[in-house]
Amino acid sequence: MPTEILPDNTALRSGRRERALAHMAAHDLDVLVLGRSANVRYVTGARQLWVAGTRPFGPSCVLVRETGAIYLVSTWDEGVPDDIPHERLFGLTWNPMHLVDELKGIEGAATARRVGTDAMSPNFARLLPLAFPAADLVDGESAMRAARRIKTPDEVTALRAALKVAEDSLAAAVAELRPGVTKQQLSGVLLEAAAAKGVTTPSTQEVVWITSHHDGNSTVHEGDLVAFTVGVVAGGYIGEVGRTWSVGGAAHDGLYRRWEDLRARLIAACRPGAHGSDLIAAYEACGEPLPSMPVARGLGLGFDPPVITPDLPRTADAEVLEPGMVLTVTSCVWQEGSGTVIGRDAVLITADGPEVLTRRNDA
Amino acid sequence: MTTMDIPEAPDLARMRRDCGARLREAMAREGVDALIVLGSNHVAYAAGVSWPLGDSGLAHADRPVAVVVAGDEWPHLFMPFREGALPGAHLPEDHLHGPVYLEYDEGVRNFARLLADLIPHGAVVAVDECTGAMRREHKALFPGGPPRDALSVLSSAKVIKTPDELACIRRALRITERTMADIAEMVKPGVRQIDLSARFVRRAFEEGAQANLLEPIWQVMPDSRENGAWTTHGDLALPLLTTERELARGDVLWTDVSISYAGYCSDFGRTWIVGEDPTPAQRAQFRRWRTILSAVLDVTRPGASGADLTRAAIAAAATGGASGERPWLPHFYLGHGLGTGPAELPFVGTDLGDRFDEKQILEPGMVLVLEPIAWADGTGGYRSEEVLVITEEGWTALTDYPYDPYDPYDPYDSHDSNAD
Repeated sequence: MPTEILPDNTALRSGRRERALAHMAAHDLDVLVLGRSANVRYVTGARQLWVAGTRPFGPSCVLVRETGAIYLVSTWDEGVPDDIPHERLFGLTWNPMHLVDELKGIEGAATARRVGTDAMSPNFARLLPLAFPAADLVDGESAMRAARRIKTPDEVTALRAALKVAEDSLAAAVAELRPGVTKQQLSGVLLEAAAAKGVTTPSTQEVVWITSHHDGNSTVHEGDLVAFTVGVVAGGYIGEVGRTWSVGGAAHDGLYRRWEDLRARLIAACRPGAHGSDLIAAYEACGEPLPSMPVARGLGLGFDPPVITPDLPRTADAEVLEPGMVLTVTSCVWQEGSGTVIGRDAVLITADGPEVLTRRNDA
Repeated sequence: MTTMDIPEAPDLARMRRDCGARLREAMAREGVDALIVLGSNHVAYAAGVSWPLGDSGLAHADRPVAVVVAGDEWPHLFMPFREGALPGAHLPEDHLHGPVYLEYDEGVRNFARLLADLIPHGAVVAVDECTGAMRREHKALFPGGPPRDALSVLSSAKVIKTPDELACIRRALRITERTMADIAEMVKPGVRQIDLSARFVRRAFEEGAQANLLEPIWQVMPDSRENGAWTTHGDLALPLLTTERELARGDVLWTDVSISYAGYCSDFGRTWIVGEDPTPAQRAQFRRWRTILSAVLDVTRPGASGADLTRAAIAAAATGGASGERPWLPHFYLGHGLGTGPAELPFVGTDLGDRFDEKQILEPGMVLVLEPIAWADGTGGYRSEEVLVITEEGWTALTDYPYDPYDPYDPYDSHDSNAD
C-alpha cells in the first residue's frame, strides 16, 4: 500500500472498460448511468470512500459509448485516473437538480436514444428524462453484469491479492482462538489484521460464528466449532474465505470427513459447460441438506453473477459456467448436537477445469 | 443545555413499536398503503432489525427487504441467512420470511407472488429503489401502476427520534469516544495512518460496535488551500482516504469515524496535532471555531429554521474577519441528521439552498450533527463534529469528548441554552 491514493492500474482499467463498452454495444446502450459503487469502480478505476451497507440510487458515473468519455461524481481528483479530466468531474451534490444540470452538459446526452441505469428510484425516474430528453431509460445492470461476469487476467491478479489479505487476517484471528475468548474479540483481531495490511474495508463484518451454540452465547468454550467467514475489499475486489475450527480436543471427525467430500464435489462441479444447478446437485449427491445460504456466487468487485441458490432453481439451471468466472463456493455440513462445519473457497473456472484460489488452510 | 429523558439502555421492543407507529402515521399522511424498502438503513428502520453491514456490492445479493402494510402493526421482513444470528426473531412467524433475490427475474416473480397475498389490490405502493429485474417485472410487482418514491415517507418518520433511538445513538457515540480516546494516545510521529485504522476497528469491536461504517479518516491537512488536493469548488477536500503515510511531528489531522450500535450510527470528528501542542495561531483557529459553534447553538431550539443556523454561523465567521464566508465545507453541510443512516434529515447548509434551509424547522427529538470549520492558511484549520438532540427548551449534547490538544475544558459548560 503506497502513501498516495492511487487509482487502479492502466491494464486493469482498460481491460474492464473494453468489456463494459462491448456489452453496452451488445445491449444497444448509448449511455450508462451508474450508481452502484462496484460498477463505478469497474468503469472508472477510481478509488472512492468505502461505506458499509447499500447506498441509495443516484447517478455517480456516466459512460458514453460513442466517445468512451467517463464522467464521475468526485469533488477532488485524488484517486481518479488521469484519463478522467477535471472537466468531467462533478462535485458531490445533495441537490438532484444540480446533478441533472451537470448531466445535461454531457456531450451526447441530448441525442442519446437508449440510456441504461444500474438501478432506479421513482424520483430519478422522473428527473433523468430532463437530462436525456430523447432517450428510453432502460435497465443497464444486465450489461454491467455481462461485462463483469468474466474476469480479465488483471482482475484475477487483483482477486488473488484480496484473497491473500483475507487468509492472512483469518490466520491472525485463529491464532487467538481459545476457550474464553469472545466473538467480538475475535472479530476485532481479524479486522485489525486486515487493516494493518492496508485494507480497512471489510466486505462482511459477520466473521465469527460459534456453530455449536444455539443460546446466543458469544464466548468460545472447549469443544466448540467456530466458523470464520472472512471477507475483505482490497483494491476494490472481494477476497472471501471460510473455515471452521474445533476448539480444544473434540475431533468431530465424521463431520469434517463429510465436509471434505462435499467441498471436493462442489469444486469438481466448477468446470466450463457445467450448470449452476450442478453445484446444487453436489449437495444432493453427498446426501447433505441444502444450506440456508447461496451455494455459490460470483466474486469480483462486490456482487457478481451468478448467484446459485436452491431458491432460484430456474436461474441456477440456466447458468452455464465459463472460463474466466470466479465463484465463491460454500460447503456447509451440519450435525445435530455438534454444529456446523462451513467452508468458503474461491474457485476460478479455467478451460482445464477448476483452479482453487484459496489455500488449503487445514482446519 | 437542557436534559432530556433518554433511557440508559434502549428498550428495543418499545423502540420498534414507536418507530413502527411513526412510519404508519407518515404513510397515512402521504396516502401510501404499502411500503417496499430495499436500502439497508431503510430496512433497519422499517423492520426494527439490525445486522453488521457489509460491502454494498454483496448487499445486492444478500439483502434484507422490508414490506410495511397500512393497518398491520407488524412489518414483513425477508431476511437472508445470517451466520449465527437471527435478526427479526421478534416478529410473528408469518411476518418473518426467507430471502428474496430481487436482482433476478425469477426472484422478482417469486416476490411478486408473495406480495399479492400481502398487499391489497389497488393499494398505493411506495418503493425506495428498483433493481433492473424489478423494472423488467414491474407489471407483476406493481399491478396498481408505477410506485411512488418511499423516500419522503421514510424521511418524515425518521427525522424525529424516540427516546430509545436516542439511547442507541448515544451508546454508539460512547463506543466511538472510548475507542478514539485510545487512538489519541497512539498518535505520535512515525505512526502510519493505517495503524490508527487497524487499532480503531479492533478497539471499536471490543467496545461493542456492531459494525464499522466508514473507512476511518485521518486526513493530514495541507498548509494552504492552494497546496491541498484539487477540488471542483476550489475549497478544501474532505475526506481523503487513508494510506501507509507516516505521521510527522506537527501534522494537523482531521479525523472522521463512524460505527453502529443496534443499527444506529455514530459520527465523530475532532482535529488533532501530531506530537505537538497547538501554536497560538492554531489556538486562534480553534477559538474561532468555538465562536461559530456557540453562535449556532445560541439559536438552536424548536421552531428555529436551518437558515437561522446558517445565518448565525456566517455572522460569527464574519466577526473573525471573513465577511460572507460560509464556515463549512461547500460539498457537505453545516449540519445533518443521524439515525439508522449516517446522514439524514434535517440537512442544514447544503446545496439544496437557502429556501430549503428556511423550510427545515427544528423540532424536539431531531438529532443534529454540527460540523462547522475554521480555516486559515498555515494553521491546518479546525473542524469537529458535535452531535446534539433538540429538546423542548433547546438542545442536549450527545457528544461527550474533549477538544485536546486545543482546549481540554468542558465544551458545553459556558454555553447552556437554559442560561439564555
